[in-house]
Amino acid sequence: MNANAITKYTWISYTAIRSNLAYLGEVLSRTTFMAVILYTFMRLWTVVYSGTGTQRLGGLTLQQMIWYVMLTESMVLSSVRVSSEIDEDVRTGRIAVQLLRPLSFSMSRLAQVLGERTVRFIVNIFIGSVVATLLVGPISISFTSIAMLLLVLPLAFVLDFLGYFGIGLCAFWLESTTGFVLIYSRLTMLLGGMLLPMEVFPQGLQTIARWLPFAGIIYGPARVFVSPDEAMLMHIMATQAIGLVCFGATVWMVQRMAITRIQSNGG
Amino acid sequence: MWRAFKNYLQLVGAYARINLNAQLEYRGAFISEAVAMFINDGFWVAFWVMFFSRFPVVEGWSRNDVLMLWAVTAAGFGIAYAVMGNALHLAGVIVNGQLDLWLLHPREVLSHLLLGRTVATAWGDAAFGYLVYLIFVRPDLAHIVLFILMTLSTALVFVGFGVMSASLTFYIGNGTMLAEQWRFAMISFATYPEALFTGVVKTLLFTMIPAGFVSYVPVHALRELSLWYAAAAVLGAVVITAAGVAVFYIGLRRYESGNLISMNG
Repeated sequence: MNANAITKYTWISYTAIRSNLAYLGEVLSRTTFMAVILYTFMRLWTVVYSGTGTQRLGGLTLQQMIWYVMLTESMVLSSVRVSSEIDEDVRTGRIAVQLLRPLSFSMSRLAQVLGERTVRFIVNIFIGSVVATLLVGPISISFTSIAMLLLVLPLAFVLDFLGYFGIGLCAFWLESTTGFVLIYSRLTMLLGGMLLPMEVFPQGLQTIARWLPFAGIIYGPARVFVSPDEAMLMHIMATQAIGLVCFGATVWMVQRMAITRIQSNGG
Repeated sequence: MWRAFKNYLQLVGAYARINLNAQLEYRGAFISEAVAMFINDGFWVAFWVMFFSRFPVVEGWSRNDVLMLWAVTAAGFGIAYAVMGNALHLAGVIVNGQLDLWLLHPREVLSHLLLGRTVATAWGDAAFGYLVYLIFVRPDLAHIVLFILMTLSTALVFVGFGVMSASLTFYIGNGTMLAEQWRFAMISFATYPEALFTGVVKTLLFTMIPAGFVSYVPVHALRELSLWYAAAAVLGAVVITAAGVAVFYIGLRRYESGNLISMNG
């Protein structure tokens, strides 16, 4: 990719960021749901910690656990459901017009999604941090934890994009992709450790889930932020790299097959 | 009175048949969405099974209690929006000026409007709720009868609350987001054990965000096979629905047509 191409996609991201900032009120109002979830989980984990009589569960204190849930919720709620947009592009035939542009269809979508998601994530994490601090107090955040989060977060967003983009492309063959989106999002939620960190999973499931791409999408970034650990960082990056190869190759193949099915009738 | 009720039931049956037939025109999409919602609910149950395998009791609530909570909520939600799917889209209907179509009906507006659509995923929710209750709780006949009553009561809460939150659009302008967030909050609270919430929050859960009448009171009724709790659940549902209907009809006076031409197909 040359410098000119990078500039084009950067502009798409920039435009998406500005567009989302224009509707900041709407983005902010979505955080109400996160506040409800954080409060509920604060109560749930408070009861569990006091019931078990331990200071740490899965290596995390109560404060770290709530901040972990705040991070995972911030990520999940900032996710852009690009699949429904692709689905609509396919059904309306708009995709044919998109393909005429001097841009890569997938790259332009990725740039747009990353722009949108950046705004949503920053708003979520800001509001989430305030709510988490009010509920359980602050946790110690070091330069290392922020650096580790920033290292794994972009790849987590790209992986998530590839998952939803691939499902959206299935609209070439399916009547509706809504069901697949629902199942995929729940798989990501459950196996990605959105509500429970993987250390709390049953042993057998834990071993498998740690190597699935979902771990690199949600669990990894949140875990290295609340409890930075170099070995964990390496593991997460390896999981993300494997996920990127698998998801990337699948999306590339699906897109190639899908494009051969486009029939254009103009007038 | 009985005749009017019978007429209304016939109307419900007719709309349900028409809506289902309309959905079945896109059979693949309908079945895949309903099945996907069933699986989606299954993931939540898997989460709770996993949670309780690690922490067996949470403030007196066991795995089966939470499964009962999920069964009542999912079945109630499913029945509500499978039969009265427009309750889920009401705020959007008002904002987009699509009420005109329903105002032309010769009978009262709200029932026709609510019955005018079904939500495919809601069928999956309803099936899930009933299956989870029958498979995991293994109830006797009395519990089954009470469960049916409680799911109908919960469905009424969803519809009444949906109408009330969406009708705020008449007063504050575009209330789509507010109605959605309010509904999400109610569903979220309704699917976690009641014992987690105390004090002011618990009061809120029986008033502003009536999650208590969605699942907590019905679960008490089922756990203790108590007709008092069952009556309280039904009474709560009736009050919420009456409030929703009142807010809708008072707000309807403020409705202004956008002269939008639309068809219901």
